[in-house]
Amino acid sequence: MSEAVVEMQDIRKTFGPTRALQGVDLTVMKGEVHALLGRNGAGKSTLVSALSGFVPCDSGTIRVGDLEIQTDGTEYAARIRSRVAHVQQTPRLFDLLTVAENLFIGNTGVQNRWGFIDHEEVVRRATKLIAEWKIDIAADAPVATLSAESRQLLEIVKALARGVPIIILDEPTAALSQAEKEILYSHVRNLKTKGVSFIYISHHLEEVFEVADVVTILRDGNVVLSREATEKLDIARIANLMVGEEVVRSTRKDTAHKEAKPVLQVTDLQIDSTNDPKISFDVKPGEIIALGGPVGSGKEDLGMIIAGHMKPRSGSVVTDGGGARMLPGYVPSDRHQDGYVGILSIRENITLGGLDVLTNSFGFVDGKREAERVTELMKSTDVIASSSAQAAMHLSGGNQQKVVFARALCRNPNVLVALSPTRGVDVGAKEQLYELLRSLAAKGLGVIVVSDEHEEIDQIANRVLIIYENGVAATLEGDYSIEDLVIKMEGVT
Amino acid sequence: MNARTETAENTGNVPTEHTNSSGRSKLAEFGQTFVSRGFTMYPVIVLMFVIGAITAPAFLTTVNLINIGAQIAVLGIVTLGLSFALMLGRLDLSLESTVGFAPMVAAMLMATTDAGGFGVQLPGWVGMLITLGIAGLVGAFNGYLIVKVGVHPLITTLGMLVFLRGGVLVVSSGRSIYSPPDFYTFLGSAKFLGIPLSVITMIVIAILIGILFRYHRFGRAIYAVGGNEDAARAAGINVDRIIFSSYVIASLLAGIGGIILTGRLDSVVTTQGDGLIFNCFAAAVIGGVSLGGGRGTVIGAISGVILIGVINNLLTLAQVPSFWVQASTGAIIIVAAVLAAVASNRSTTVKTRT
Repeated sequence: MSEAVVEMQDIRKTFGPTRALQGVDLTVMKGEVHALLGRNGAGKSTLVSALSGFVPCDSGTIRVGDLEIQTDGTEYAARIRSRVAHVQQTPRLFDLLTVAENLFIGNTGVQNRWGFIDHEEVVRRATKLIAEWKIDIAADAPVATLSAESRQLLEIVKALARGVPIIILDEPTAALSQAEKEILYSHVRNLKTKGVSFIYISHHLEEVFEVADVVTILRDGNVVLSREATEKLDIARIANLMVGEEVVRSTRKDTAHKEAKPVLQVTDLQIDSTNDPKISFDVKPGEIIALGGPVGSGKEDLGMIIAGHMKPRSGSVVTDGGGARMLPGYVPSDRHQDGYVGILSIRENITLGGLDVLTNSFGFVDGKREAERVTELMKSTDVIASSSAQAAMHLSGGNQQKVVFARALCRNPNVLVALSPTRGVDVGAKEQLYELLRSLAAKGLGVIVVSDEHEEIDQIANRVLIIYENGVAATLEGDYSIEDLVIKMEGVT
Repeated sequence: MNARTETAENTGNVPTEHTNSSGRSKLAEFGQTFVSRGFTMYPVIVLMFVIGAITAPAFLTTVNLINIGAQIAVLGIVTLGLSFALMLGRLDLSLESTVGFAPMVAAMLMATTDAGGFGVQLPGWVGMLITLGIAGLVGAFNGYLIVKVGVHPLITTLGMLVFLRGGVLVVSSGRSIYSPPDFYTFLGSAKFLGIPLSVITMIVIAILIGILFRYHRFGRAIYAVGGNEDAARAAGINVDRIIFSSYVIASLLAGIGGIILTGRLDSVVTTQGDGLIFNCFAAAVIGGVSLGGGRGTVIGAISGVILIGVINNLLTLAQVPSFWVQASTGAIIIVAAVLAAVASNRSTTVKTRT
């Protein structure tokens, strides 16, 4: 059993100024399940992507079986793909092809030697596989019609059916139910006995204890624990190693007016289906609440519902602000997708968020009031630009995000909902945005932040609701430590 | 998120906050404003006037200039209509068929049986309302299919274009209607202080739309939707309503264009408006209205219209054989579009979404 099938040595990868992997070694034995742990941004996904060739690394040696690759930043995915299967965080399937076609795409087992595909064989094999996994779908159904969990499962089935010796599972269970997880575990154990090795990334530590043999922990692009047997580890030690010694960071302030009337009340809210647990909580003025939890837990949906950009299955969200429902300010999670309009100026972007308050009764924009408001918001959010006429696309990521904040604040809302408020911004801009959130709270705004970054939540939130499977799994309040947070967020209760 | 996505983005966004103070001169800044406000083609128009004045003695006469104005009024109004769709990153091919269809239905209802009409003999002002009503309905139907049903604008408006072309022949039995009532032809034929009312109408409409685009929340919303629809939605803009209204407005402008064209020719021919939309696209693109949406000005769109009008006029004055006029116009459109593309790339260094 103790035969190394993967040996990665001194793997390095930089993205611009960020060194994502700083000389990482990883060894995987034949027939083992090797868990890779670390916080967001620690380099887990980059490391496994380097192994599969999805993201070619800059330097280092990768040996898989008898294939050895000296990497130099050029593509090598084609050489490695017959040995490594990589299930990524988000399913990459062909929506317009059927389940069977997706399962066997690029699988040489169903092709004759001229490359023609035996369709009956494909459907026969697919039907058998689906039955084995107890998935309730038809082999000839188009993938576009499937639910998120079926798609994720399909991606896993596809990888496992390829018959390769090494399988990477990057957060495979994010969208799976408990029963489906059990089926996955039994397949993993079964393949393990046949000598297949797994690299398993998960944010749920209980899964790691369930299936993994050894654990490697990454922090900031370095290995901090290598190949430790799972039995020798406990949650506290894992959390400590993942967090490490922290650089000096700003800390949260409690500015909540506990006795005041809440600015926002969520009552008996069900996110997606009538089986979801009912969520109720309120937000006091000056309070910063974080919605935390693993990817796919429903926290983003909840944030969008509160912001009024999605409809809940049932229940209500009421903001304090007179008769008409005053929508909270909204910072969407992906600013490139729906945060800013790149070709428009900073001024126009900010004004978009407040067209109804900056226009007169005929709908014309009041130029003077607009200029004042934009100047004021650019100052309070600390946007650095040559002028308010500069196009948003020419700004750095951090400044773009500040423009998105300014837009959200343009209407002077009394609640702000920010999804992944500092995604893709550098450390300096991050601290500025935290300071902004704290100062908004100090002015009496209710702030709701949706985040999967532990430090972020620790630095700003007075109260944390851990969202798991569309419900509130735990609440942290007041004087919680980051270790508490890591443990709760990784799904161990 | 993992390090990969976070950092890939950092590399893509090289900070450029200080480029203005260090690297760029006042002149470059002026150039950028010049282009973004839509003035790019006006030097070319001036050049064309100089060439015209030198080569053709008849060019710079009042009669000829008024003639050019009358010829481009309809093109101008319909191009402004098309701009609404283009700025949203969409298009409307059916505008040219609305120019023919809406007046034809009105003309049939106004004309006597002898003149080929239905014999209802409605007065001119009712005919005008009917024209605008039909145009509005066409726009509303286009908008409904695009917004609510989700049919691609190309297919929706192409279908509408062909449908209305056939519709003209159906309602008119393939015959043209001559001499509609005076009230109906007034807008396209009358003059005010020697200037055709059609030109004045175009100028008034252009000014109104220019103000709408620049100073009204509706205009702001159009630029936002065209630039990034999802961001507009996230900012709380009712994107569906903006798109729907834009199609209705575009169609109404085509209806007005149809009334003017009818007045100028004192008849509704079955081919009224045929081929107009190609010139509209050319004028808009030459004038810097982005086909990808989010970019464009009324000043620019009008510059494209003037340029096409002047070029056509010059070719005619130069007695270029009529077979060659169309081909030459096409060639010049391509050249102008290339110039416009180069100018806008220079000024922004970023490609538009197409």
